Amino acid sequence: MWRFGLRRAGRFALGLLGAILMAAVVAAQAAPPGKGGVSHFIGTVLSRLGEFVRFDFGSSAITAASAAQEVAQRLPATLELVAAGALVAALIGIPLGIVLSIGRASRAAAPLIQIVAAAPVFCAALALLWLSVQVLHWDAQLQGAPDLWSALASGHGAAIRDAFRLLALPALTVGAAGAAGVQLALRRAANESRDAPYRRGLRMMGLTPFEVDRLYLVPQVLAGVLANLGEIALSLFSAAAVAEWVFGWPGAAVLFLKSVALHDWSVVALVLFAFAAITLFAEFVGSLGARALAGIEANP
Amino acid sequence: MSVVSAHEAPAPAITLGGVIRAVGFIGLGAIGVTVGLSEVLARAPADTIDFGPPLIAPSIHFPLGTDVLGRDMLSETLHALAVTVTNAGLAAIVVVVAGGLAGFIAARLPYRIGFVLRGIAGILGAIPALLLAILFIGLASRGLAPLAAGLAVAPLGFTRAFDRARALGQSRHAEFARATGISPGALLRRDLTYEFRDSFLSIAARALAAVTIVLSTVSFLGYGATPPHRDLGLMIAAARDVYFDAWWTAAVPAAALALFILCARLAAGLDEGERA
Repeated sequence: MWRFGLRRAGRFALGLLGAILMAAVVAAQAAPPGKGGVSHFIGTVLSRLGEFVRFDFGSSAITAASAAQEVAQRLPATLELVAAGALVAALIGIPLGIVLSIGRASRAAAPLIQIVAAAPVFCAALALLWLSVQVLHWDAQLQGAPDLWSALASGHGAAIRDAFRLLALPALTVGAAGAAGVQLALRRAANESRDAPYRRGLRMMGLTPFEVDRLYLVPQVLAGVLANLGEIALSLFSAAAVAEWVFGWPGAAVLFLKSVALHDWSVVALVLFAFAAITLFAEFVGSLGARALAGIEANP
Repeated sequence: MSVVSAHEAPAPAITLGGVIRAVGFIGLGAIGVTVGLSEVLARAPADTIDFGPPLIAPSIHFPLGTDVLGRDMLSETLHALAVTVTNAGLAAIVVVVAGGLAGFIAARLPYRIGFVLRGIAGILGAIPALLLAILFIGLASRGLAPLAAGLAVAPLGFTRAFDRARALGQSRHAEFARATGISPGALLRRDLTYEFRDSFLSIAARALAAVTIVLSTVSFLGYGATPPHRDLGLMIAAARDVYFDAWWTAAVPAAALALFILCARLAAGLDEGERA
């Protein structure tokens, strides 16, 4: 396990190094063009790389504020949205995965899930928004990130309701995208474990099917989900970018979109680095968790 | 009956998966024909304003209604579908070449060059393809959106092809080939031929599904297609202000888009909920 952990940590560190290099290449676009072509560009990239190592991420070309400050202001909102989406993904994806692991249910639900999976995230977001306005009579203009904790602390029913309304649609949109990945990982792990030869042996040793499932199948299935944590995180961040745009959520993904449009490359580079680092970290933690739980090695 | 033959029962000629894939390809073919005939099938040229009264609900005269500028939704959806399919086709070619083909070849490169490339693809793959596509468009131009979408999706195809080629390179037939003096180049050509013969259509359909999602989302966010060459993503984006009262303005292009992606997913043989 230690050797595996060290190998994974090394891979994670290399991934981070690569992400920093990529961010430096993007941030180098912010430098004024100079003579020298490729050599000038490589010099600029190396100079940016040096600055990044010293935690100097440059400044925004729009606000002149530090890029790190700009991203630090917006990233918590994205992480809140992704966390809420992950919760929804687990709440939808785990029961769905369990139900679909049963052969008949899977066959019956397959066409429906294929159709749902074919709808891009922005279509799902617009459909949710339409339903909330037409069916629940919510206010379509009510947009932004809620201050849920303040609303809960205030104890005002209207404030709490508004905060939950602000959170519900973006979290559902992000969660639905994550749920697809969760249910698939769970279903595949369950299918692999269900037919494993050790199950028959354990039953012959006197364990009941429930005990076999609880002691052996559950860790295997959880490990299967953890082994795909990086991919699930990626789908959550991807959906968060769209949800932030549609629901006016002031997060880092919207900052990225605006910064690309305005060629604010220092901010773009830092947002990209933050997203890549979080996904790589999720992959690293997931692989360790999967290995610890059931000896599954993700992406060998 | 021997033990081997008892365990190796012949695979059924027609499987459910095969039927589903065939349905997907038939759907893609039908969409291709519709796109090819879009200029004939559409009642009005692209972006024809005031073809009818604005925001008319689907009726006999306007089967899919009209939008806020009085454009015929049926005609506009056909034109937008043609733009979407054409751009997605170009982007899918980029994915197959820069992802599938390059990944397969990279796995057999000497001096561990392939592993460096695999590492780069892995890092790019840690960023959502949507953001990567927008970054490429920002660095180049909106006209190059299909290329950007293709390059953004390619890292995933690259890593898949690389891992597949590595596994093939360590298989028994590869060991046997090396032992009998067959050159690495000849082995690569052999594996590449068989791999593409067996799974080219699946790889291409998967790429088509992935790039269509990215391209339409990019257009929806305002970084892709530009009027008058609207694609389905841009059509949906344009309907945002009115779709609460006129649902068809968003539902019709969204249904066309979902149908196209669904056919590509089915043709690729993707599992339910599997990422394209």
